[in-house]
Amino acid sequence: MAEYAHPEMLVSTEWVDENRAKTDKIRIVESDEDILLYETGHVPEAVKLDWVSDLQDSVVRDYVGRRRFEELCEERGISNDTTVVFYGDKNNWWACYAFWVFKLFGHPNCLVMNGGRKKWEAEKRPMARAVPQYPRGHYKAREPDLSIRAFRDEVLAHMKTRKPLVDVRSPGEYSGELFHMPEYPQEGALRAGHIPGAVNVPWSRAVNEDGTFKSRADLEKLYLQEQRLKANDEVIAYCRIGERSSHTWFVLTYLLGFHRVKNYDGSWTEWGNLVGVPIEKSFAAKK
Amino acid sequence: MPSIGFVVKPERTVSKLNDILSEFEGLDERERFELLAEFSRKLPELPERYKAERDAGLHRVPECRTPVFLWIDLADGRVDLHAYVAPEAPTVVGFVAILLEAFQGATPDQVEAAPNDLLERLGIARRLGMTRLPGLNAVLQRVKSQVRKARIEVAGSK
Repeated sequence: MAEYAHPEMLVSTEWVDENRAKTDKIRIVESDEDILLYETGHVPEAVKLDWVSDLQDSVVRDYVGRRRFEELCEERGISNDTTVVFYGDKNNWWACYAFWVFKLFGHPNCLVMNGGRKKWEAEKRPMARAVPQYPRGHYKAREPDLSIRAFRDEVLAHMKTRKPLVDVRSPGEYSGELFHMPEYPQEGALRAGHIPGAVNVPWSRAVNEDGTFKSRADLEKLYLQEQRLKANDEVIAYCRIGERSSHTWFVLTYLLGFHRVKNYDGSWTEWGNLVGVPIEKSFAAKK
Repeated sequence: MPSIGFVVKPERTVSKLNDILSEFEGLDERERFELLAEFSRKLPELPERYKAERDAGLHRVPECRTPVFLWIDLADGRVDLHAYVAPEAPTVVGFVAILLEAFQGATPDQVEAAPNDLLERLGIARRLGMTRLPGLNAVLQRVKSQVRKARIEVAGSK
């Protein structure tokens, strides 16, 4: 992992296993797509964070406010100086998403466990079903760090000036083809295709079979050589709701050292429903 | 919370499903998810004869992000339902286990009569959130549409 631009942001399953008992300084957080997976067994010291019921406001389409964020940290024994290690299912999609939300609120020490839940289980490391309890933390969240979050008007301006956009969805979603397949999900958008000028790099191309991130050389081949992105480019990544693109945001920012990457969490469920915005479609439906 | 106490008209009784709904009724949210987790441990194993089709990617429910595979037939007018769900998604495994328990051996009418807002009635929709619900709802709709198709095929072959 030392080859990455910021290797200090990643820890191995082995490191977590060796350090997991230091619960006064380290909090391990599991964040999954599946709502019951944590309950079936988890890293013994890990607490659960759900991307819907914990991180999203239930009325407005947005993240929880500062106060609620402080509260959910304190409940889990997380203080401003706690090192938070994220891991989860689906090759760390949701772990990266939770990581991104913590960065949004300015949490300084966030780490991702390379390989996620899949690797931890494959290595037959300890799992427990008991939910650990920790002394309440003390938390003061900062104002949201909007340097990592893009909103729709900004995306429109970004597109008009032909700055790089990375669409991390599957090729079928990107081209608009899936929209025309009967019995396929329409993903809550009225139009299909992608933001004009966006390149398509499915997020999963950045991970190995065992759930770990690909090597720096492979990632450079993918983003720098194939897509001709440069580390000082201003890049906006998006997907359907901003979850897969937070994975790509992590890869570009910390593994490749890009320093101006934003995640557009409105993503296709916003863009594909906006009235009048330009859309590019590379799939032509049969007449 | 929407009411989950649901009684269908007697002539269209979905008795097993109603039994399951009444098991969920009266539980608090934590208990409902514990019960769902219990169901997830009871999903019958996929019979050997379907495994090759599963491995070839056939019979998958495309709307659900979790790999879910369903085999639905009618035998002597009764529904014969088999399923495979990726084990790393216990929520989905649990919901499919509920469908199997409710519909295995049921009549097509009973399947048709199952409420479309089943996840709401079970009291688990709110925590799932808008982004997870469509995939699970699609599994129920897939069961219903396959049962309808099987019924038409049976009628056509007579």
